[in-house]
Amino acid sequence: MAYSPLVVPGSADKSAATTKSKLSNTVVSSNAPTPEAGQSSNGAGNDLAEQMNEDEKQKYIKGKKLGEGTYANVYLGHLRDSPSTLVAIKKIKVQKEYTEGMAPDAIRELKHLQELSHPNIISLLSVFSSKDQNLNLVLEFLPLGDLEMLIKDVDGVRYGAADIKAWMGMLTRAIWFCHENFVLHRDIKPNNLLIAADGEVKLADFGLARSFSDPYRVMTSNVITRWYRPPELLFGAKHYSGAVDIWSVGLVFAELVIRTPYMAGDTEVHQVNLICQAIGTPNEDNWPGVSKLPEYTVPEPPNPIRGRDHYLGTFGTAGPEGVDLLMKTLILDPRKRITAREMLEHKWWSSDPKPTRKEELPKKSGGEAKLGEDLKRRPGILDDERSARVARKLDFGGMK
Amino acid sequence: MTSTGPLNEDDRYRTSTQYRLWSFTPQSLHTFRTTTNQLAAERVREAVRRAREARSADDASGTDSRSASAVPEGEVDCLTVEEELKLIAFYCRQTLQLGDHLKVPTEVKATAIQYIKRFYITNSVMTYYPPDILKTALFFATKTENHYFRLTKFAEAMSKTKPEDILASEFLLTQGLRFTFDVRHPFRALEGAVMEMNAMASGEIDGPALKGMGRKVMMAHGKAREYLKTSALLTDVYFHYTPSQIMIASLMIADRELIQLYISTKIPSDHPSSPDLQAKILETLEQCAEMLKTVEPSADPAPAEKKEISALGKKLKKCRNPDMIDLVGLQRAKREGEEGLDEKVVKKRKLEREQSAKEGEDLFGPSLKK
Repeated sequence: MAYSPLVVPGSADKSAATTKSKLSNTVVSSNAPTPEAGQSSNGAGNDLAEQMNEDEKQKYIKGKKLGEGTYANVYLGHLRDSPSTLVAIKKIKVQKEYTEGMAPDAIRELKHLQELSHPNIISLLSVFSSKDQNLNLVLEFLPLGDLEMLIKDVDGVRYGAADIKAWMGMLTRAIWFCHENFVLHRDIKPNNLLIAADGEVKLADFGLARSFSDPYRVMTSNVITRWYRPPELLFGAKHYSGAVDIWSVGLVFAELVIRTPYMAGDTEVHQVNLICQAIGTPNEDNWPGVSKLPEYTVPEPPNPIRGRDHYLGTFGTAGPEGVDLLMKTLILDPRKRITAREMLEHKWWSSDPKPTRKEELPKKSGGEAKLGEDLKRRPGILDDERSARVARKLDFGGMK
Repeated sequence: MTSTGPLNEDDRYRTSTQYRLWSFTPQSLHTFRTTTNQLAAERVREAVRRAREARSADDASGTDSRSASAVPEGEVDCLTVEEELKLIAFYCRQTLQLGDHLKVPTEVKATAIQYIKRFYITNSVMTYYPPDILKTALFFATKTENHYFRLTKFAEAMSKTKPEDILASEFLLTQGLRFTFDVRHPFRALEGAVMEMNAMASGEIDGPALKGMGRKVMMAHGKAREYLKTSALLTDVYFHYTPSQIMIASLMIADRELIQLYISTKIPSDHPSSPDLQAKILETLEQCAEMLKTVEPSADPAPAEKKEISALGKKLKKCRNPDMIDLVGLQRAKREGEEGLDEKVVKKRKLEREQSAKEGEDLFGPSLKK
């Protein structure tokens, strides 16, 4: 039988209630002051729920603003009892223009981060509301920016195959854990991969995430930032699997190696064209059933599937085993694409060079401001499309 | 648990909020509910006392005091914990019917009901009126279960309901849920177990004990599903058992012999602790099945129950916290900030809301549009 970390007011059973897993400090910790019955003389005063919220809020002190956006503001914060324990507080704004109550991206982020606890997934330490009913998500503080920052700073940051292997290992374990828990992330890209003080990579931004669907229920295909979006979604598939995330993981891998986005399409049509050029044209031979997908159109003339030599030429620094893994993540047919678990079993990890220890990975300063930038964004948006196309469509479209 | 080793189902379940925050011993659950009930009753009495004082002050000064007319005379007779639970169970059934009316999937209805049950562990029906909360819970569940429903459409499908009525308690609900929205249901587990039993019955996979029992499996499947769709939602089993325990217990009610055979295929009989383990598992399942059986899987409550609920509904009307009736007004005040509002406007809105609340205070909730 489970014990709730909730403290039963006036209960003699406190010792039992405080036996908690390491995770139980999420939301309301077991050592929160016990709310006393009859404390509130005012009828409109604090409920038990409000008291618990207040206790949670009291644990943190909000500091300077790290970033400001239309969707959220991000603050540096610390524990009241331990000023050296830093946290990031993401305050989600009440969206006046959104008239359907709590917005889907906030709901998704909360729903999934509350459940997932893994070293390579950003930790949600607590949630509380402030007076104006804004949601405050207390997240672990990740001061070293994100992978995009490192990739882009070609002159300032040098890294090699061992470093890439370390980062990819952490990303692969994160996505394996999501899929093992039946969660699709649906927005994997370098600037959602944040870096902790000790070099650990953490997958963040679960605003587009959802649980695996039942086979008969449709899902929206309008997810994942375009450059990292797999062909099945570009073709409008309504039933899909963890393979969508694997494609994105493959493109992060490619980008880490060549230090520029591998397929940076300007439009969805352009994105399909780039895939046909870089990987090959999807057809009934290499992907049975593809032509039945609702938005299947490919440019003429078709390109054959690129062979190993092509990949070795472009991504050779990853080594032959690395190239083999990359090719398996970029298989057009999602049913043939490698799974997260199979990725972890790939021989690349055990071949030379060994992955760099996380503490020794290349770093870059100025990550604090980047964290503010990363956390305040709406999910699923490329820097050039802040008009929030993907997220808007998701809010109001046939969201199933 | 290593980060790359295979995760077993139990490890995974133990990291869920359903286990960490929403699983209780029967004793601790009862203590919670008792505390909530007592706290709410005290606040009702306090609020009524203040309302009476205000009224006599108003009377003395000769001002009109219609707003206090809802406050009953005499000592307030508050609901007991058991009475609250009966009302909550009744409104959970209503939620099922509302969900059927709106044609939402089973998961949405099931999640909404668990939201209601979780919410009322730390909130009393005397404070927050269940017919209001259930609409909000069902709407919120459409969002968390990815079955998006336009708010205006949702409100239109119910009589006497405006979108703002539904949103007024949304934040309250999420706070009562401690911002955890994931609910683990036994439905998928049932489909998995049935697939496996079918494969054993047809000889596709090993499981000779079940060979040729395809028909029995089919019958058990249907009956178990009925229990999961009603009894499992309306009793406290989610608070005390895991989804897989609930699933197997429902199958056991359906066909005990079949399920004992099925369990025996899972625990090798040559294992030294096998008899103990089997006994332990069966005992737990037995308890879960007993709890499930306390609510028959029919959609309608029995006539005697209806009569009792009707009396409880009347009692509730007399002990609702007068400060918490106008949720829309309270919500608006919270969002807009107290100082931004003219006191007269607040009072006027409150009166309007109370009037419409009274009209809408049909015991069996709003009637469904045909």
